[in-house]
Amino acid sequence: MRTFRGGLLIGLVIAFAVAAAAVTYERYDTRTLKRTLRRGEVLCGVNTGLPGFSIPDGNGNWSGFDVDFCRAVAAAIFDDPTKAKFIPLDTDERFKELQNRKVDILSRNSTWSMSRETNYDLYFPAVAYYDGEGFMVPRSRNIDSALALDGSKICVQDNTTTRLNLADYFRANNMKYEEIKFDRLDDVVKAYDTGKCDTFTSDASQLYALRLNLSKPDDHVILPDIISKEPLAPVVRERDDDWMLIVKWTLYAMINAEELGITSKNIDEALKSKKPDVMRLVGTEGSYGEDLGLTKDWAARIIRHVGNYGEVYDRNVGSGSKLHIPRGLNQLWSNGGIQYAPPIR
Amino acid sequence: MIKLRHLIWMIVAAAGLALSVSQSFAQQPEDPGDQPGLVPEENVELDPEFRKQMVSYRSTEPPGTIIISTAERHLYLIQGSGRALRYGIGVGRDGFQWQGLLNITRKAEWPDWTPPPEMIARQPYLPRFMAGGPGNPLGARAMYLGTTVYRIHGTNQPETIGTAISSGCFRLVNADVIDLYDRIPVGTKVIVKQKPEL
Repeated sequence: MRTFRGGLLIGLVIAFAVAAAAVTYERYDTRTLKRTLRRGEVLCGVNTGLPGFSIPDGNGNWSGFDVDFCRAVAAAIFDDPTKAKFIPLDTDERFKELQNRKVDILSRNSTWSMSRETNYDLYFPAVAYYDGEGFMVPRSRNIDSALALDGSKICVQDNTTTRLNLADYFRANNMKYEEIKFDRLDDVVKAYDTGKCDTFTSDASQLYALRLNLSKPDDHVILPDIISKEPLAPVVRERDDDWMLIVKWTLYAMINAEELGITSKNIDEALKSKKPDVMRLVGTEGSYGEDLGLTKDWAARIIRHVGNYGEVYDRNVGSGSKLHIPRGLNQLWSNGGIQYAPPIR
Repeated sequence: MIKLRHLIWMIVAAAGLALSVSQSFAQQPEDPGDQPGLVPEENVELDPEFRKQMVSYRSTEPPGTIIISTAERHLYLIQGSGRALRYGIGVGRDGFQWQGLLNITRKAEWPDWTPPPEMIARQPYLPRFMAGGPGNPLGARAMYLGTTVYRIHGTNQPETIGTAISSGCFRLVNADVIDLYDRIPVGTKVIVKQKPEL
């Protein structure tokens, strides 16, 4: 009897210890980099198809701004941008799949907000793309400011924050508008294209993409004003600080590279530079890469294989793409925008 | 005392500018292909990137300031509240790019062109003087920058917008340079930004 109770107690203690260890392991998982290295590739959760950001071609080759960011992380780790595997995720499953370790990074036009960080045990390391609600109008209206939209008939998707932001903006500026709303985005586009309204509001990046599908894209302009905050950021699991730092500094390396004038074309020249801030970034001075758990030339790898922030922007959504989205807020802080990276030193 | 220090700084700055300009000229780049006498086609369609448009642009400079980004080939006219009117431009070729802060000191419609001696030395085929008109490389308007040989001007070669080909001037298509000319007075502050050097 005594031995049975003793055995039971020991068994319970062991079971409890194993359970506690398992919970700790799950909650305090700090092994993403190790697993990624062993696997030999970065697993990236991306949008199932969003022009300019993440879209597969007929052969399953992915391209886009979010896709290139993941390739940059792969380049930093493996010196090979093709060591990134893309896993398309729907909006409602994306955070869960990140928590379940189906992916290492979510690079999927996700807006950084407080509740997403607190409710999901996730972390948004840095803003990759400043998006926000904007307006498209027919060129013939000859308007160049959102403040001139008083009295407009505005097409908007129902049950979205877009619609709420619209109401706030017009009320704050003492302007009136007539709202024409639909549940489905396709219907909103069709209504605008057939002239049922004279203004279309949505997130600016989406307006540029949707404009391509209008019957006469060139007859429409997107106003420069942005009326809401939609900071799009990569996402990682909380409490794996080493991995989070790699993702964060990959983006900052790309932004710093643009600010310093280092591109995929002149990276070899940059490796010979004697300018201290260039030397720290490309790894000819200091041990910043090693401190991240990577190699000295981690940032040079990113720039060589994927490019600096501006190159990635232009190629996917900017002047070198079909979308032609002006840099706007995503221009460097020193050149009219708000993209600003802390220094590498 | 303060005046003396000012004076010294100005001399140092002038010497610096003179030095950088002379270094630039020393590089002997290839022929930029100016075509005096060529009358441009009307309504040349620019790339969307280089068409005049209102863009988001945050700046602590007051409205009315011109900021030129040579790396981007854009000229911004600051409008305030986070916006600027952006024009596509052609800029100086390698060795003919400069940065600094100047004011518009003079404005002229259909300006005459007297290529400076340095330019004649490099491009001996250029005329010594050319009266203003549609075939003039300065185009429809010119805005003179400080006391330098540089100007913001129109062009008779609209296809060169977006390229780095000039001798250090900034060129816009004639429609744009006329638009800009009507918006800015003499005295307008002009900031020229250059891409950083490695």
